[in-house]
Amino acid sequence: MESKHLTLSDLNLLIKDTFDEKFPGLVWVKAEIGELTVNRNGHCYLELVDTDPQSNQVIARARATIWSYSFRMLKPYFETTTGQSFANGLKILVSVKIEFHPLFGLSLNIRDIDPAYTMGDLALKRKEIILRLQQDGIFDMNKDLELPLVPQRIAVISSPTAAGLQDFLHQLANNPSRIYFYTCLFPAAMQGAETAGSVIQALEQVYEQETSFDVVVVIRGGGSQLDLASFDHYELAYHVAQFPIPVITGIGHDKDETIVDLVAHTKMKTPTAVAEFLISGAEAFEQRLLETELYCSELLSNRMKKEKEWLQQTVIRLKQGVRQLVKDEEHQFNMTAFRIKNSVPSFLHRHDNRFVQHRHRLQLAGLRTLGDQYHFLRRRGADLQSLTCQLLEKRKSNIMRAQQGIRGSLNDKLKFEQSRLAVTDEKIRLVDPVQVLKRGYSLTYQSGKLVRSVNDLHEGDQLVTRLYDGDINSKISNFKAHESKKNDL
Amino acid sequence: MNPKKMTYKEAVAEIDEILEKIEQEELDVDELSEKVKRVSVLIRFCKEKLHKTGAEVENILKEMEE
Repeated sequence: MESKHLTLSDLNLLIKDTFDEKFPGLVWVKAEIGELTVNRNGHCYLELVDTDPQSNQVIARARATIWSYSFRMLKPYFETTTGQSFANGLKILVSVKIEFHPLFGLSLNIRDIDPAYTMGDLALKRKEIILRLQQDGIFDMNKDLELPLVPQRIAVISSPTAAGLQDFLHQLANNPSRIYFYTCLFPAAMQGAETAGSVIQALEQVYEQETSFDVVVVIRGGGSQLDLASFDHYELAYHVAQFPIPVITGIGHDKDETIVDLVAHTKMKTPTAVAEFLISGAEAFEQRLLETELYCSELLSNRMKKEKEWLQQTVIRLKQGVRQLVKDEEHQFNMTAFRIKNSVPSFLHRHDNRFVQHRHRLQLAGLRTLGDQYHFLRRRGADLQSLTCQLLEKRKSNIMRAQQGIRGSLNDKLKFEQSRLAVTDEKIRLVDPVQVLKRGYSLTYQSGKLVRSVNDLHEGDQLVTRLYDGDINSKISNFKAHESKKNDL
Repeated sequence: MNPKKMTYKEAVAEIDEILEKIEQEELDVDELSEKVKRVSVLIRFCKEKLHKTGAEVENILKEMEE
């Protein structure tokens, strides 16, 4: 019984033998790259898939390898031929050796690759996308937009680190005509699988500020020529085609145009070319302004010349007209002068008579008026005289009355003062020292000084005593002060 | 219209309209001087805008940051 059962190793060896027998050489296989990794040693591991075109379901799957020595040659060959990086999603035609390892199972070892197949597939895909966009009726929508006269506000979609971006910004900022450009960067990945999605996202951000920009510029500078498939992308092209602001591309390649280039308003090869396009457009506009300015001043000077000529003509005509007019008027004047000359003497005679009459009447009237005035003045003079006499009399009697009053009061005052003088005289007579001496008082001097106190005196002093009618010389032999006055001293 | 708020297109359209009137001699001399002044203002506006719109652009910038 035991001999009837195979071990798994036996089975796998048997399968391996069958594969080797069935597929002795290499086989060409069409498949899509499902997954792709390259390890440190440079070996490439892939998952190849086959999908049902209707349902998009995976209907076959196999592992595959490209050993590093093959991969080093196949990858650049494939990429330079197709202009695509060797990556997920590509359809490839590869020559494989079918291997079955008892431990690791089935694996396809890729020995060769045919890039022509991939290119054909991509071209087909492109055609399909273009057709689809045309069927959608949007293929030319962005192209139909009118580019502003001077696109000056620029939304830039690019990778912030791209060398092309720096060139672009530098060129715009330093343009020789010093035209001002406003730029705003909307960052997006410009390489790799996420390119289309991130550019769409950037476009949506620009769309939110639609009115702030004149133009959208999608640029990707320098670097690799690969990854153009990212721009042969239906969704991305769909967004670009319908974008409400003109889109200018400078994706940086010079082989085929991508679909994004085809639907964009304007396609330039490089970011530098886009900058040049914008600058030259603005310069052309400025040139147009200058020409317009010149043209306008030319129109103006032509017109002014015409007006001046008209004016000169008019002046000439006016001069002639005036001359004629003056001549006519002169003639008229002469006629009138002649008539006046004739009529003046009789006129003067008439008026002379009237003048004599008037003079006479004026004389009479003047005399009458003078007489009236004279009488009036005479009357006023007499009135004034009598009034003045009355006033004078009145003043005179006033003065007389006042004189009498003054005289009476002066006499009274005199009598009063005389009686007061008599009284005063009597008083003076009573206090006169001579009178006092007559009444028995005496004055005592010592050495010419009047003695007022005994304290001023000493025994033996010579005293002179003055009486009413003579002096007495005496000598002090003894004196005594009154008790009551001692303390006062 | 205040030139400050015009687009290049509007300014150019107005300039062209005036120039046509001058060409056709539809304007009398008083109007002519006024219209020529207007053309000069519009051209100056365009030139200024080309080289630096200054505050206006700064305002746009601000509005976007908001």
